[in-house]
Amino acid sequence: MVGPTASLSNLSRSDGSASYKCPATGYDVLGAVNAPIELPARRDALKPEEATVEVFVKPGNTTAGVGERHVEGILRNVLSKVVLGRERGFPRRGVVITLGIVGGETVDRGDSYLTILPALLHTSLLALLSAAVPLSMTFSATLMGVDKSGAIITDLSAADAKAAASLHVLAFTSKNHLLLNESEGRFDFDTWEQVRERALSICQDMTTPGPDGDVTMGEEADGSRPEGFVRETVEDRLYKDYSWKIDSI
Amino acid sequence: MSTPLILLPGDEVPSSHLPSTKSNPLKLGSGVRLLSQPSAKPAASNHILTATQAGILATDAKRNTVSLQSFSNRRYIPTTNDLVIAQVHHSSIDYFHCIVTPHTAQALLGQLSFEGATKKTRPMLKGGDLVYARVSSVGVGAGAEVEITCVNPATGKAEPGGLGPLTGGMVFDISTGFSARLIRASSSSADHGDAIDGLVVLAELGKKLESLGGFEIAVGRNGKVWIDCSAAGENAIKSTIAVGRCLQTTDDKDLNAMDQKKLVASIDKGTDDVSSLRWARNIAVLAPLSIPSPAQYPLENSGNRKLADLRPRSKAGIFPPFWRSLASCSLP
Repeated sequence: MVGPTASLSNLSRSDGSASYKCPATGYDVLGAVNAPIELPARRDALKPEEATVEVFVKPGNTTAGVGERHVEGILRNVLSKVVLGRERGFPRRGVVITLGIVGGETVDRGDSYLTILPALLHTSLLALLSAAVPLSMTFSATLMGVDKSGAIITDLSAADAKAAASLHVLAFTSKNHLLLNESEGRFDFDTWEQVRERALSICQDMTTPGPDGDVTMGEEADGSRPEGFVRETVEDRLYKDYSWKIDSI
Repeated sequence: MSTPLILLPGDEVPSSHLPSTKSNPLKLGSGVRLLSQPSAKPAASNHILTATQAGILATDAKRNTVSLQSFSNRRYIPTTNDLVIAQVHHSSIDYFHCIVTPHTAQALLGQLSFEGATKKTRPMLKGGDLVYARVSSVGVGAGAEVEITCVNPATGKAEPGGLGPLTGGMVFDISTGFSARLIRASSSSADHGDAIDGLVVLAELGKKLESLGGFEIAVGRNGKVWIDCSAAGENAIKSTIAVGRCLQTTDDKDLNAMDQKKLVASIDKGTDDVSSLRWARNIAVLAPLSIPSPAQYPLENSGNRKLADLRPRSKAGIFPPFWRSLASCSLP
């Protein structure tokens, strides 16, 4: 399987940005992060000691609707758990994440937004890293489907997702905490437990660095797994930015 | 030090990479925090340091600090004691309202916070004028006003040297990471002549423009660099732009020391069209996009003069020798 492609700091005017393309679903997302910025209105009243995380999802060809609002809420909940909003300079300021869907199939109104959720999560993580927003940990997410016979499918395409009996998006942090669980369709607890184990093994392999600090590379090495490719993308960019330093050592 | 250690948020900083001096307590810079309690093994290590940003681990054994160097294109966020190049937007009774970074609230510069300024004699700055200033306070919390000053209130002097209005010259935009590098390089270049942080472009430019009277440079942490070559007479504009372009190209293309030397060497070589075209071609190799018409900026090459000539004429005692950014570098 081909790994996802991603690059960092594509936009020059935002504090951080990233683009991410998921090979299975074909979604191409461009994300920008501005942080910390002054929020225009009094949106800080609820939690004055923390930064406010705001997420905007913009579809490529229409205006944002109910589905986008829904997925924005999910993303905001997940991301505000990993952003360290009490670092110096962040309380009462905003972390604004804008995600533009620039490629892939359109998510029609009423369609499941779960198919694009992992791509949106990965893009926002990469953009947050690029903006050097303090995070407590990284995470990785995956989309799983269960077909009518009860078999678990990974790497779903959009057509697979339509045919599946249930869809699950699970995100795990780099310390293997379950960070997000969104499911839809008909399934029972046993199925969900199997899905969770499978998703954990997909996300987990890459999250635990080996004893020498390197990422352990399994058979499906080189960034076909979410977390590993995040690390790789970041390393590539850092090597480029600090080539003057690294070359001279 | 072999390969740089790259950490992602949540990664623990291996204790083998920490400075081992015990004399003063370990200081944590940006990107490294104590997030978790140590596990129940007191002998192993007493603290768990966790990275909170993606970056390269940087340690300083002498000052016993550890920090992460993150991506360099970040927006500038004012920090106390940073040196910045600000542009006056408008003036009010007590303050000059200055722009430090675009699209952010204006910083306040007191009408009297200049060296030797009194109510009778104070600089009359207009909108658009430039000042080299130090961030004196950033306030607390959101919506706080950033204050900048051109004078040390304790001594009444423009400390570190060179603070004050910038007259003449031209400002170029660079990335904030590159401006931090320039400040580090120029503040320590007095001690040893080696390339600091892989930067030789300033020293090379200094040698090159020695014959034209040298140049003045002021580096602001807010990603601005001000260059003035007014000593160069009729070549002043050309050399100012050449210096600025060299710095911008070094920044954009992440040039290493060798390429920086090549870039600087490719500047002048006479004033006739043929050689300036050659410069154009050389630059085009290094910087295919960023230089619109380099053929306009050839520099003259005349006789040798000593390095002392690099020091600019001291006008009214405001200007420090050669580099303006002698300031202590404040690490992020």
